[in-house]
Amino acid sequence: MLIFSVFKTLTDQQVTVELKNDLSITGTLKSVDQFLNIRLDNIKVSDEARHPHMIAVKNCFIRGSVVRYVQLPADHVDTQLLEDATRRGDNSTKAIVLTLTIKNRNAETLKFHYG
Amino acid sequence: MSSLQGYVDRRVLLVLQDGRAIVGKMAGYDQKSNVVLSESKERVYSMEEGVEEIPLGLYLVKGDMIILIGEIDEEIEQSVDLSTIRAEPMPPIRY
Amino acid sequence: MDPSSSSIQEPFDLIRLSLSERVYIKLRGDREVTGVLHAYDGHMNLILSDVEETILIVDPDSATEAPVPVNVAKRKMDMLFVRGDGVILVSPPSRA
Repeated sequence: MLIFSVFKTLTDQQVTVELKNDLSITGTLKSVDQFLNIRLDNIKVSDEARHPHMIAVKNCFIRGSVVRYVQLPADHVDTQLLEDATRRGDNSTKAIVLTLTIKNRNAETLKFHYG
Repeated sequence: MSSLQGYVDRRVLLVLQDGRAIVGKMAGYDQKSNVVLSESKERVYSMEEGVEEIPLGLYLVKGDMIILIGEIDEEIEQSVDLSTIRAEPMPPIRY
Repeated sequence: MDPSSSSIQEPFDLIRLSLSERVYIKLRGDREVTGVLHAYDGHMNLILSDVEETILIVDPDSATEAPVPVNVAKRKMDMLFVRGDGVILVSPPSRA
């Protein structure tokens, strides 16, 4: 649940998904579900010359079970918060999503809210 | 569920566990992401010759077998001459 | 009694005590990574930062029982999610 929440907070961020067939796909994270199936937009396959199979594909759905790694944007991951939530064995998705989402919003939005 | 709803009636590419690539129009899907394609073709890649398309017609692909579903951009698709593309088939998934 | 061992009751406790520490992970497909552990779950899905991955390129035709790596490839990544089904072992930092 915690990892699912982390991915949810990273929607609209750029990630690179590496599959268990060694294919690497970079794109904008559009959505994720509890199986960690992933939807990516504006995708680009690494080493397109060797993997031209997806040349006409702009967005895709990736089955969670075939993912080996996902490279995440480090500046959008609050590591302290993750460690605390992991220690608590946190299942309160909402709290994590809320906290991380607020953190990821830009300062302008916060200024607007808090005057 | 990160839904497949957006893909219905669109031309899609399915990549399967064994590395096969199948294109077709997504006619429907279900909870287990089993997918029905119409006017489907398998695309066979090789280094020796251009991409060969084998017509499969109406095809049901079991969800477990599908590793990736991609929406095909018709414009880019049209600009690509498959007969000029030489590539190894996609490698199978190794757990 | 050693206070650090007293809080270890089950295997996952060892991983919990490795949070925010550099860990070594052995993965399927002749891969290893080291990185700072920030999160994990019961599937051993992991989130690590400052990651170095090592891929051991083994000779598949080698007749010997334990194929010797003929080459290694390394790469670095800032922040990485590792899917738990590929994890063979997680080793806490060596206490130097």
